[in-house]
Amino acid sequence: MRRLFLGCLATSIAAAVLSVPALAADTIKIGLVNETTGPNAEAGVYTVNGARLALEEINKAGGILGKQVELLLEDNQSTNPGTVLAYSKLAGEGVPAVIGPIRSTQTQAISPSVAKAGIPTMFGGTDPSLTHTGNPWLFRCRPNDSFSSLVIADFGVNTLKLKKWAIVHSTDAFGTGGMNALVQALKAYDITPVLVQGYTNNSQDFTPIVLAIKKAGADVIGSYMTNSPDVGIFAKQLRQLGLTTTWIGSPSVITETARNLAGPGLYGVYGIADFTPGASPEAKAYADKYKAKYNLEADVYSSWAYDAMNILARAINQAKGTNPEAIRKAILATCGYKGVEGAYCFDENGDGLSGYNIVRNDNGQIAFIKHINNPKK
Amino acid sequence: MEALANNLQVLFQGLALGSIYALVALGFVLIIRATNVVNFAQGDFAMLGGYAMILFTVGMPGNPELHIPGFAVHVPYGVAILLAAVVMAIIGLAFNYGVYYPLRNRSFLPVLISTLGASIFLQNTVLALFNPQPRPLDKLFNIDGVTIGGVFLDSQYLVILVFTILAVAFQYFFFEHTLIGKKLQATSQDKDMARLLGIPVTLMIIITFVYSAVLGGLAGMLVAPILFVSIGMGSTIALKAFAATIIGGFGDVAGAIVGGIIIGVIESFAAYYISVPYKDAYAFLALFLVLLFRPQGIFGEKVSEKA
Amino acid sequence: MSDAAAKPVALARAQNNIPSLIVLAILAIAFPLVPYVLHVSDYVLNIFMNSVSYTMAVLGMVVVLGYAGQINLAQAAFFGIGAYAVGLGTVVWGLHFWVSFVLGLGAAAIAGLVLGLTTLRLGGHYLAMITISFQQIFDLVLTNWIDVTRGPDGIPGIEPPALFGLHLTDKRAYLLFSAGVLYLLIWFVWWLPKTRLGRAMRAVRDNELAAETIGVHTLRTKVIAFTISAVLGGIGGSFYAAGFSYISPDNFSFLRSIEFLTAVLLGGAQSPFGAALGTVLIVLLPEWLRFLKSLYLAVYGLGVILIMVFLAEGIWGLLRNTFQRIRKPIAPVIGAAPALNFDIKAPGERPVLKLENLQKHFGGLRAVDGIDVEVAPGTVHALIGPNGSGKTTSLNVVNGIYRPTAGRIFLDGIDVTQMKPHERAGLGMGRTFQNIRLFPTMSALENVMVGGQRDNNPMEAGREALVTRALSALDFVGILDRAHMIVRNLPYGYQRLVEIARALAAHPKLLLLDEPGAGLNQAEKQELVGLLKRLRGHGLTLFLIDHDMGLVEKVSDKITVLNFGKKIAEGTPQEVLRHPDVIAAYLGEGPTNAPARA
Repeated sequence: MRRLFLGCLATSIAAAVLSVPALAADTIKIGLVNETTGPNAEAGVYTVNGARLALEEINKAGGILGKQVELLLEDNQSTNPGTVLAYSKLAGEGVPAVIGPIRSTQTQAISPSVAKAGIPTMFGGTDPSLTHTGNPWLFRCRPNDSFSSLVIADFGVNTLKLKKWAIVHSTDAFGTGGMNALVQALKAYDITPVLVQGYTNNSQDFTPIVLAIKKAGADVIGSYMTNSPDVGIFAKQLRQLGLTTTWIGSPSVITETARNLAGPGLYGVYGIADFTPGASPEAKAYADKYKAKYNLEADVYSSWAYDAMNILARAINQAKGTNPEAIRKAILATCGYKGVEGAYCFDENGDGLSGYNIVRNDNGQIAFIKHINNPKK
Repeated sequence: MEALANNLQVLFQGLALGSIYALVALGFVLIIRATNVVNFAQGDFAMLGGYAMILFTVGMPGNPELHIPGFAVHVPYGVAILLAAVVMAIIGLAFNYGVYYPLRNRSFLPVLISTLGASIFLQNTVLALFNPQPRPLDKLFNIDGVTIGGVFLDSQYLVILVFTILAVAFQYFFFEHTLIGKKLQATSQDKDMARLLGIPVTLMIIITFVYSAVLGGLAGMLVAPILFVSIGMGSTIALKAFAATIIGGFGDVAGAIVGGIIIGVIESFAAYYISVPYKDAYAFLALFLVLLFRPQGIFGEKVSEKA
Repeated sequence: MSDAAAKPVALARAQNNIPSLIVLAILAIAFPLVPYVLHVSDYVLNIFMNSVSYTMAVLGMVVVLGYAGQINLAQAAFFGIGAYAVGLGTVVWGLHFWVSFVLGLGAAAIAGLVLGLTTLRLGGHYLAMITISFQQIFDLVLTNWIDVTRGPDGIPGIEPPALFGLHLTDKRAYLLFSAGVLYLLIWFVWWLPKTRLGRAMRAVRDNELAAETIGVHTLRTKVIAFTISAVLGGIGGSFYAAGFSYISPDNFSFLRSIEFLTAVLLGGAQSPFGAALGTVLIVLLPEWLRFLKSLYLAVYGLGVILIMVFLAEGIWGLLRNTFQRIRKPIAPVIGAAPALNFDIKAPGERPVLKLENLQKHFGGLRAVDGIDVEVAPGTVHALIGPNGSGKTTSLNVVNGIYRPTAGRIFLDGIDVTQMKPHERAGLGMGRTFQNIRLFPTMSALENVMVGGQRDNNPMEAGREALVTRALSALDFVGILDRAHMIVRNLPYGYQRLVEIARALAAHPKLLLLDEPGAGLNQAEKQELVGLLKRLRGHGLTLFLIDHDMGLVEKVSDKITVLNFGKKIAEGTPQEVLRHPDVIAAYLGEGPTNAPARA
């Protein structure tokens, strides 16, 4: 028994140690770290879908530099340590670039490993600080939260002319970061929210929050909620207790899952979205292809990975090889590329997008309202 | 006036949540009484009940990655409940043989850990079969609820309250007034003695697991229209239900009900008046205090170990 | 003489382990050097670092669960306290690494102490729930108390410490250093069970009530176990934080606690080597099972059940048992130990035990209803009575297991009425139980050593004296040759003798014997009578209860008869057995029938 164990241990170490970056000459391997198990597994599936769709198209068009492209998937079990392990495993296998996580804390967790590995890593976490740590290898394929809050504030104050804000947010990293940014953004309009209310993910009851909104007399709700069931329960209870307050939420309020769960509870709600099928011809085409392939509505969890894959392919082509530094420069030089999330133009920090779409849930269907790019700070 | 309505609303939500905890706690208590172990997978019975309803109302998507095909079944709501209950009974039987029975002669610790393992197993098996997306489920009645004096009463919550009362009444009648109930009671009090009296103890324990799986499953089916069906839907509820079990007095039926309601109401009011993000902490704080000042729980009797 | 008897035994045991120890040592030294010899990727380094820091925390589980038998589902919280101390201390508050480290250990120790104190009243499921609650509240505080903990964003940029001016920024050097610390901790945890404290913990685990009544301060022992466990968790967390440079609340959740629990059970909760093995497996398994993809966690859950069913003592236990079966059986101890010294002062006038109007009521039931008894020094005093007459209850009250409803108890003139059982044991009150209460997984010698390590035991300090004392006690009852056998494997009659030896090792002033003849056959009873007479011959005061009138009559100087909780007769055996009330009370009970052997 012991010998068996030691044997296994030795083999696994040897396998890890000896698997010298042996890239087969005929394929280019791109790594993808995401969550296929654990509490966030839902989003992980979509991310893989998006990346795979791009991959198929690239390969159908002849691949990169004449080589076919392969995707190496590593599960991070929805945890930070899992992400670090999965990332270092991919880096050890010698991939020239990685598509990383969509969660901010996971991106934070791998940041030192990314710097050490020195390979371009695309990610979808929207915490603004992630691209401001002096790590040259991180590239964001989504607009960050400083834009999301600016867009929410801009749309609510300038377009809808609403001044009495209530902010509802999850107390996780995403929700708290978004809440802080929104409070800041509203300050520019001399507005102090009448209510700022956090909750812990997977709350079963939002009655206290709904009553607090009622009491505060808010005329608009800005929300940063993480999980769909929370959005669903909150939306239902809001309507049940008779509130018809305008609601502008972060992307979670307009995901297909949330709309499915809440039904009429979310009708009329505004959401911001980095991806909206109606926002551009590229987005429309992507949504159709995605629907045809997976029989699912395309959403942001897949679209950013689709874009990330395409930007990488473009950059490797321009770099004429898999030298990480050359790819890095090529990504930084990307400007004006029309992805499905919008037109990318990377700034010196590695942020590729700077605007959001405003959409509305019209009886269950997503209607594109307007695109706000580079909102005023 | 509005303050009163608000307080009544908070009270109603607390009672409703509390009765969910109480329902799950009932299942806990039964297993504790029969086997003297806590089943940490009790919350997952609720989760399985929810998914069984999804299975029979809209079907299962399958998992192409593991080559598991999806399929769709559509049966009327009432039939779906019956079928789901049958599924839960089978799961209870399997649970008895797979998780409890091999460890029946060991101390509580291995069994407790085994149920923890079962919880991880059940959640992730369901995750592989259904995709991780949470699902909605229709309410039992086709009305959302009624508003009386500014207080909204969710129809499903009313159903849960009524069902909890019925379940308690049934359990009381079953244990006190039927032969099989009395045999179950005898088994829970002293297995060796019950064996001497010719009571089939193993069968009694199987019945307990089946019953508590069905009860847990029903709790899941009932809360699904409100909390939706998701992999983790049972976990939080089960922890609170367990706290309720202890607050009420370990293994006491009335205590579990009262404990559940107390936790629900405390949580609801504390979230309203003190702080929402710490909502989950109140139940555990209450538990801490009860255990410090009245370790035997509200209804439990003080027992000393015999030399 | 004493050395000659004790030492070869101990040495012989140690030598048997030497080959396996060498293998372990080589493996241990080789492990952190691998990255220096071979080129390894960051992935492998991370896995190594993960294993090392997790093992530290799992060692804590060995102490609290494996040794002291207390469930702890909050180890990840202690782990988190250590990690956050280093993270907050070095990054946010700008403290030196080692200052933060020590602060973290202090905080973890306090948390462990508080949690341990709850075991005053609670065990089993309650403790499980309390530790879960602590874990959940810890989680909520980490996430929501943003001003202090930095909230869900966590703390990035934690740097490895400097050691003697040497910065451990090279991951390999840091791993080497961490492994060194880990080995120290493993050594500590390996050494612990052989200490007084370690024996006390194992005694609490095996039989808490018996441990308390023979003088183990059980609450203190459990609290210390929790505290050690928390500190080990804290150390692991500190090393983890500096090794991965980023921490956030989700690293320290309930699931991580379960992972630590699974690791210790998988490897074997009784041994630090098992803990290390289990942790390495828990870290590697998800990596090996990556091919299972979404089914991986399901398989993991199934694995937990299978471990519980098939590997009760974990993989290490399985290895050890297999190994022991191959190895030669333990050689019996040959020779003699020094004679047991009873150290009893010349008998005076004062009664050794005095009960004044002792009462114990359970609700309306008056189990003991105002009895007065004086046990004269150097005598054998028996308490008899029909079933349900209050004998065992009286003994439990004398012993401190029950608090009396009224009345007072004096031991050698000292009022012990308000004292805990272990305090009474510390004053020289020894006891045996009707249904033998030994520490079944410990050897006979260790059982007796626990008895000998009571407070105020008038003997030399030090392990050697204690071993000698225990061997003498075993020799006195005639089972020295079985000293190293695990008592669970001893025949019933021998177990009874071990229990008496355990009491004798403590230099009792008074020995309470609860039906010492129960379950013995006639030959064994004969020997017991001889033993009791020898004890009396050494001047020891005995207070015993038994059903077997033959036995009581043979050994007793004085008999007190109870019926319905009241004293109905007292005197010499001849007087009492002729007493009409006694005969009436016993009518139909068949007092001379020895119960069948159990």
